[in-house]
Amino acid sequence: MTEAPAAAPRLHSSRMDVGDLLRRVIEGDQRAWDELVGRFGGLVWSIARGYRLGTLTDDVVQTVWLRLAENCDRIRDPERLAAWLATTTRNEALRVATKQAKLRSVSDLPERADASASSLDEIVTDDDTLHHVLHGFALLPASDQELLRLLCTVPPLDYATIGQMLGRPIGSIGPSRDRALAKLKKLLPPGLDDRHPRSSGKDDAK
Amino acid sequence: MTHEPIDFSDDSTDDPRDVDDQPTPNDDDLLDVLGHALRVADPVPGNVLDGARAAFAWRTIDTELAELVFDSSQESSDVRAEAAKRQITFRAPGVEIEVTVVENGTRRLVGQLVPPAMLTVELAGDDEVRSAESDQFGRFTFDAVEPGPVRLVVLGADGTPIVQTEWILF
Repeated sequence: MTEAPAAAPRLHSSRMDVGDLLRRVIEGDQRAWDELVGRFGGLVWSIARGYRLGTLTDDVVQTVWLRLAENCDRIRDPERLAAWLATTTRNEALRVATKQAKLRSVSDLPERADASASSLDEIVTDDDTLHHVLHGFALLPASDQELLRLLCTVPPLDYATIGQMLGRPIGSIGPSRDRALAKLKKLLPPGLDDRHPRSSGKDDAK
Repeated sequence: MTHEPIDFSDDSTDDPRDVDDQPTPNDDDLLDVLGHALRVADPVPGNVLDGARAAFAWRTIDTELAELVFDSSQESSDVRAEAAKRQITFRAPGVEIEVTVVENGTRRLVGQLVPPAMLTVELAGDDEVRSAESDQFGRFTFDAVEPGPVRLVVLGADGTPIVQTEWILF
């Protein structure tokens, strides 16, 4: 693969819309592809991580990007690429999870995925507030976790997409969100707000 | 992105009315913090991003794509005994590729082209391509298939791809 020259004018500009990037990808522009990975890599990862697939998470994510690579000339509505990627990620993750569950039920095959390990058990942060929020999040029922994960992605997903992904009516997303957040608040230590240290810096994904 | 002011206090206890339609700013802040926490504590690993960037090399334009139309591992029927013998069917206009995945310590793919044809079939992983010849019945086999996303590519007599399956984790 040839390295892209350093001067890549304006690709990172937010004015370059997804449709333009996809067109460049089809023409063979690796930098445009890298920009897509930069914009949506966190989204795909965060959704895949919700399904506790252990090391298989990497394979799921890679499959999603390969799917985009093979479909880059078939994306009809570039503005909905986030929704396409999110849905593809969820479908692929559920496919793997279902298959793993079946295999486990019949055999002693060596497992790559450790289904008992929560993704969140592996992650650490020094920031007190973030730590408490993650701890509380990990205690929520899986369905609440799944919903909240979809609600806080960068870039954000609209309620219609989230409803479709979860097989729930769009009108139920708002109320479910409120209930899940109420549960999360109850799991946070009192007075957390007072101690919140100016969130340890810049938000990565912005 | 700014999260301040952060007020996680549960003020909903004083107000039993539901807040269904009006998420409080408080809720938005909490979601912001949660999203931030997930991203800070669980960033995309470098090797995953590298893989995503490298997927560019596999982009395909204008090639007939055989879509996954059946996967026994996703059927709810209680075929536990057959779980380690997964049946998968890909379909493109005019051709089907049926694959049986046998898990027996290693993973073996036994494939069948429908209609039968003697052709070269490639098994492409994202860093290795293997090939096999289908026999007069359209059957082909790959042994010891490694984990990770792969796709099957059927080559015509002139060596150009006729049809390829979508990527899949076998």
